[in-house]
Amino acid sequence: MKAAPFCYHRPGTVAEAVETLAAFGDGAKVLAGGQSLVPLMALRLARAEHLVDLGRIAALRYVRGAADSVAVGAMTVQAAAGRDPVIAASVPLLARAIPFIGHFQVRNRGTVGGSCAHADPSAEIPAVAVTLDAELEASGRGRPRLIPAAKFFTSTFTTSLEPDEVLTALHFPVWPGRSGFAVREFARRRGDFAVAGAVCAVTLGQGERIERVAIGLLGLGAVPLRAAAAERAATGTAAGDLDVTEIGHLAVADTDPPDDVHATPGYRRRVGVAMAARALTAALEEAAHG
Amino acid sequence: MTVAGRYVGQSVRRQEDPRLLTGHGRYVDDIVVPGMLHAAFVRSSVPHGLLRGVDTEAARALPGVAAVLTAAELHPGLHPMWQTMMGQDAPAAPFRPLADADVRYVGDPIALVVVESRYIAEDAAELVVADIEPLPPVLDTSAALGDTASLVHPELGSNLAGELPAAGSPELDAAFASAALVATETFHQHRYACVPMETRGLVAQWDPAGEQLTVWAATQGPHEFRAICGRVLGLPEPRIRVIMGDVGGGFGQKMFPMREEIAVVAATRQLGRPVKWIEDRNENLLGGGHAREEQMTVSVAADDAGHFTGVRVEQLENVGAYPFPGNGSTAMAGSMIFPGPYRIPALSYAARAVYTTTCGRCAYRGPWMMETVAREQMVDLLARRLGMDPLELRRRNVITAEDLPFTTASGMVYETVSPAQTLEQAAELIGYDAFRREQAAERERGRLLGIGLALYIEPSQSFGPLGTDGATVRLEPDGRVALVMGTASHGQSLETTMAQVVAEHLGCDLGDITFVQGDTAYVPYGAGTGGSRSAVVAAGAARQAALALRERIVTLAAAVLEAAPSDLEVASSAVGVRGDPASALPFAKLAGLAYFGHAALPEGAPVALEVTERFKAPPFTFSNACHAATVEVDATTGQVSILRYVVSEDCGVMINPMVVEGQIAGGVLQGIGGVLYEHMVYDGDGNPLTTTFLDYLLPTAAEAPAIEYGHVETASRLPGGAKGMGEGGAIASPPALANAINDALAPLGIHLTRQPMSPAAIVAALTP
Repeated sequence: MKAAPFCYHRPGTVAEAVETLAAFGDGAKVLAGGQSLVPLMALRLARAEHLVDLGRIAALRYVRGAADSVAVGAMTVQAAAGRDPVIAASVPLLARAIPFIGHFQVRNRGTVGGSCAHADPSAEIPAVAVTLDAELEASGRGRPRLIPAAKFFTSTFTTSLEPDEVLTALHFPVWPGRSGFAVREFARRRGDFAVAGAVCAVTLGQGERIERVAIGLLGLGAVPLRAAAAERAATGTAAGDLDVTEIGHLAVADTDPPDDVHATPGYRRRVGVAMAARALTAALEEAAHG
Repeated sequence: MTVAGRYVGQSVRRQEDPRLLTGHGRYVDDIVVPGMLHAAFVRSSVPHGLLRGVDTEAARALPGVAAVLTAAELHPGLHPMWQTMMGQDAPAAPFRPLADADVRYVGDPIALVVVESRYIAEDAAELVVADIEPLPPVLDTSAALGDTASLVHPELGSNLAGELPAAGSPELDAAFASAALVATETFHQHRYACVPMETRGLVAQWDPAGEQLTVWAATQGPHEFRAICGRVLGLPEPRIRVIMGDVGGGFGQKMFPMREEIAVVAATRQLGRPVKWIEDRNENLLGGGHAREEQMTVSVAADDAGHFTGVRVEQLENVGAYPFPGNGSTAMAGSMIFPGPYRIPALSYAARAVYTTTCGRCAYRGPWMMETVAREQMVDLLARRLGMDPLELRRRNVITAEDLPFTTASGMVYETVSPAQTLEQAAELIGYDAFRREQAAERERGRLLGIGLALYIEPSQSFGPLGTDGATVRLEPDGRVALVMGTASHGQSLETTMAQVVAEHLGCDLGDITFVQGDTAYVPYGAGTGGSRSAVVAAGAARQAALALRERIVTLAAAVLEAAPSDLEVASSAVGVRGDPASALPFAKLAGLAYFGHAALPEGAPVALEVTERFKAPPFTFSNACHAATVEVDATTGQVSILRYVVSEDCGVMINPMVVEGQIAGGVLQGIGGVLYEHMVYDGDGNPLTTTFLDYLLPTAAEAPAIEYGHVETASRLPGGAKGMGEGGAIASPPALANAINDALAPLGIHLTRQPMSPAAIVAALTP
């Protein structure tokens, strides 16, 4: 469990990082918090001839709140995001997802952007990004661009980032009104990758009707998923009339979950139903009663 | 009940903790020897195949590589290997440190790369190309038995590793013929592993001039390590020095050096340079030894009141390719222990052990424990068939104080066990009857709650080579005490408990004792720390040596004080005339007289203030316990939550109750891991799937319930009254949990007989 040889680069700016990536092409990998990449390299399951460490780019560590969105620098460590008052007040779903990430040691090193760029389909931050329709900001040799979360995650461990691009920030929209947010996931042990999980945001309108709802699923496919059919069915329904289990079934209906030693696809779907129902119930409860 | 002494019976804080908890422990990977090389193994990625060739050229050419050794280079000159406990003629897998002409499991070491750093060693290992022609894997134990075409060890002619034939009796046949009820069920236990926090490892150094070998090893038994090096290398044992520093757990895995360790020792002699091998976690899970994969069919005959009248047992064990020790079978011990805490008048126990192309079985805390796992689940199953509460069924069959002494159907003689008392204490502590009421009420609300019990009797193993241990107690010139022992404490707190025993019996202050172990050059021979034997054998030696030294100190003091020895008393490291505190001579004063002022001593006064004693224990000393668990099962996710966990334990006179409870807790966690989390999975082609901690799930502190303890103290007949208890926590916890889970699932008509009882497995049973 010792990594194969590699060259280590530590750029001080995003521009320098982009130049280094461009220079080495496919032979280069970006290192953020290293909580996934480093163990994979130690097992020699991942290799890089050139490792480009973003750890010293201080400009990528920030949380900035605006009226309708919150920007989080990609190298903000998860633990810092988890205790940030702006995130807690304006993007509660993100704040509530972070404690589910690994253990505190992992959250102290792992970054918000690193989790997205790694694109593990059972990861929490990508699921929150997809659920809230966040935009991911990338810088390459061309102009910086904003990528909608739905288009960012393309497959397991794969994103739409170009080889010379660095993920620099996430922009989370703020949900106004009588909104509630919840994360529910099931893992074998506290801190393990989720077998299945759901993140949910909901806004109640007139007559306790569901004005707006977003349900995201993790661990149930190659990318974090949105439960579009379930969202359509729930929207406009009076909260009290909602059959959350039925919504849960709708949420997982079209999923194609992975199979591994911990869970079969069928088992993941079964747990997914329960997690979606439980997350929706909790989010509705918060929207109704604060 | 016995009265606690000044030290024995007290929860004295662990003497080793300041060192270990502040990061000052010295483990084998902390050893650095000038000129030391690092080893890495090239391992088979194929479960079974012919080794057509090993191309080492590119690896040898890599800068920094000192040697790449295959069987052809390493094996010549090596002698047969056997373990002392098993004897020279015990059935065993062929001995070969490296794969030779074929590979027999994924992870089978093919070549040893010796390089100036572990990083480059792994680079070099990648460059070695093994040309393997795959053969069909041998995986299914039942099918492998009759298979003569596909053999794990062709030289043995069969995949049958060992067999214990059934020994029936007319009484047993009669019991089954006249039974009111016969219940038969097969219980399956899955493969899981020791997984010590510190992996295996060693630094070996050969001195060509003196023909001496020094090995620093992560081991549970330095003398056994030495003996095996001596046998394999053909060296006299005194020419070999095995040193253990702090060792981060073993659980059986480090009782005997295995193939990799022997290969490194052989390599260091061949190369004449020191070699370090620190097994990484991936290797430890892949090839460090596995355990527990077996099945047991139990048939129990009972009368209409539920009294057991006879039991038939059949065991089938998967011992992998290269088990350690011997052939990996635990059946002999299992057959002796099976009757456990119950009156079972007639028993037959048959077993077969089968070689497969998987990692070999190694000893794991309570290696024979399938007898308790199957027996205790069978009791619950029988209770369900009888419509009787499992607690009541146990009450009807459990051995009581009135039954003692009791000879079991397998010939074990119990004199001082208390299974009935621990059963009642556990039931009371967990509030058995109240839980039954709560359970019934909650079932109405759809909650699945369950309670499970498991009783066992645990042998302290001190038969044959395990039967004696030695201790040296020396009063040093400054009046302090050196305690030098043949133990190999690696988490069992012997540094504390052995010192407690010596302080108690020698009459010195605990703080005056320094404990030394783990260097074959200086310590008395010891059979290793394992088999729940330390409180019996090692403590026996410590006690005996302390008493002998005390007598010598008293004799010396009597001569100095011109008093009769019988008038003297020893307390707090001083000897004085009883009732005359002013007369007390501190140990330091007496030591000064013996070592330096002996000219002034009267004729005949002893000056040798150093005693070595060996204690010889009876073959078995039995402790016992009852585990009780309550759980809730989430019918949606299959998640099992442990609500409460109670252990009532009788290990005789406790040297240190806190240490006893720590031993129980560690064992219980391993059982929780086994039932709910840990599973060494092979796919249908013989490939291991769980060789990192991402997939091999250990219970962590977050999964640990608060364990509640009850103690019954029935002194054994040994001086000191102790009984061993190191393994029991891991023995009884799996069936206690399995019984609780099945009790929770009972309303659904489900009874699981296979482990692990993972969430997915429970859901699969709920949704056929």
